[in-house]
Amino acid sequence: MQFFQPQEVIVERGSEASPIYRNLRTTLPGVPFRIVDAVAAESDRTNVSARTFGVAKKRIVLTRHKGEFFKKCPGSEGQVCCNYFVINFASNCPMDCSYCYLQEYLADNPELKVFSNVGDLLKEGDELLSKHRRFFFRIGTGEITDSLALEPYIGFAREVVPFFADQPNVVLELKTKSDCIDGLLGLDPKDRVVVSWSMNPQHLIDLDEHETASLSERLIAARRCQNAGYRLGFHFDPLVEYPNWEVDYEEMLNQLFSSVDWRRIAWLSMGVLRLTPSLKRIIRVRFPRTRLLTGEQVPCPDGKLRYFQPLRVDMYRRMLGWIRHAAPTVKVYLCMESKEVWEQVFGFAPSCEKELGNQVVSSF
Amino acid sequence: MGWEPEARDALLRLAVDLKISENHLRDLMDWLEEIALREQSMIEGILGSQPIVNFTSDPRLGRADKLKRIKEEVRRRRFPRLARTEDAIRARIRELKLHPEIRLTVPSGLEGGRLQVELSGSSYDEFKRLIAKLTEAATDNRVREIFALLAGHTVEV
Repeated sequence: MQFFQPQEVIVERGSEASPIYRNLRTTLPGVPFRIVDAVAAESDRTNVSARTFGVAKKRIVLTRHKGEFFKKCPGSEGQVCCNYFVINFASNCPMDCSYCYLQEYLADNPELKVFSNVGDLLKEGDELLSKHRRFFFRIGTGEITDSLALEPYIGFAREVVPFFADQPNVVLELKTKSDCIDGLLGLDPKDRVVVSWSMNPQHLIDLDEHETASLSERLIAARRCQNAGYRLGFHFDPLVEYPNWEVDYEEMLNQLFSSVDWRRIAWLSMGVLRLTPSLKRIIRVRFPRTRLLTGEQVPCPDGKLRYFQPLRVDMYRRMLGWIRHAAPTVKVYLCMESKEVWEQVFGFAPSCEKELGNQVVSSF
Repeated sequence: MGWEPEARDALLRLAVDLKISENHLRDLMDWLEEIALREQSMIEGILGSQPIVNFTSDPRLGRADKLKRIKEEVRRRRFPRLARTEDAIRARIRELKLHPEIRLTVPSGLEGGRLQVELSGSSYDEFKRLIAKLTEAATDNRVREIFALLAGHTVEV
């Protein structure tokens, strides 16, 4: 994976005392740092150059997070949900996947922000987890950023993993397309931290997952995490259909199951490529040659475009067959799919999001 | 994606001749671009293909009918497997030879995987008779095949 080198780090005054600032200073010695009074005003001034989404990824903005860190994953209207919580420790991502929904979600606020007030995050987490000890939380940090792509520079996971490892009612998921796991290896996850990867065949990584780790780099990183005591997760999301997709995906699964011990896999998920009409327009402009938009996608009740149902159900079933062949009892769930699709793929659908959430974490 | 002058001219001719509205034109432009990208073909070539030429030059068709058929033709090329699955389901529904008062339909884009039944009777006896016919049709293997197609299974023709 290529070394990420931001052109500049902009620091909101008051963030200099945070461990994230110290880590950035140490790991990016050749990068100019600029202290500003207010990030919002700074963003307005540089709006012309930051107008395009890609440009905004080239500089890091270190600022305080003003709202709540912990949020319920919004899921998608009318779809079976897995009762997931998210922590937004950063916003946007140094990688640049063609299909990334952040292109639409963060269109008006595309700066690559990292939040400096980690102490507030841990305090909020302590209050939430202590208050609801009878509820088992599944929390991830990879909702509006990659959990680990910036880890070598900011050291965020190193700051929070020891806290979550000591909690009795939580599993923390660090979801990534990177191989930036060195900082995790010396920590003791105490079976409370899952490191997970978004997976696609190398063919698709080359075409549409720009600036990410290769398939073999992801698998090597996964094996190293497993050896260090972490449980693993893999997300086949987005599944992309193209001529001979099944050959590539089966081969990818073979590589995966020969690289890691499937009994240490906490969960696998599957979800086909999803696009909103607005995201489709953005992708057309930013990645005009991508073939992602040429699949047989139709509008679904939640407003998203997906491969038409019989086609995607067939894809899920084939994937499930290959998975079950190698890993008969590993937990597999669908992301943002309807009860009808669940029924057609698995022969059952969870009755509610709590049921699915509980099933996913039942081994913790 | 930028349009080459030949592609622009071909669509413009069609748009002017058939007075295509903005919404229809937007659908056509998206589908044509996506077909061209997937098939590595030229948009003017797609618009100049035989089925489309046949529709545009057919003197028996009015403007609205020409547009409807051309759009359907482009849609079929843009969504070939969806169109084939829809055709296979429609063929089975036809083969059931249901009473005209019983309608079986599937949702647009086949999303939801459901077969919808619409039935209307003008008297108790007629209603009962139609229900009996529907019950009889439900045992036909073709109904089973429709559900298999909706669930992504391959069905022998």
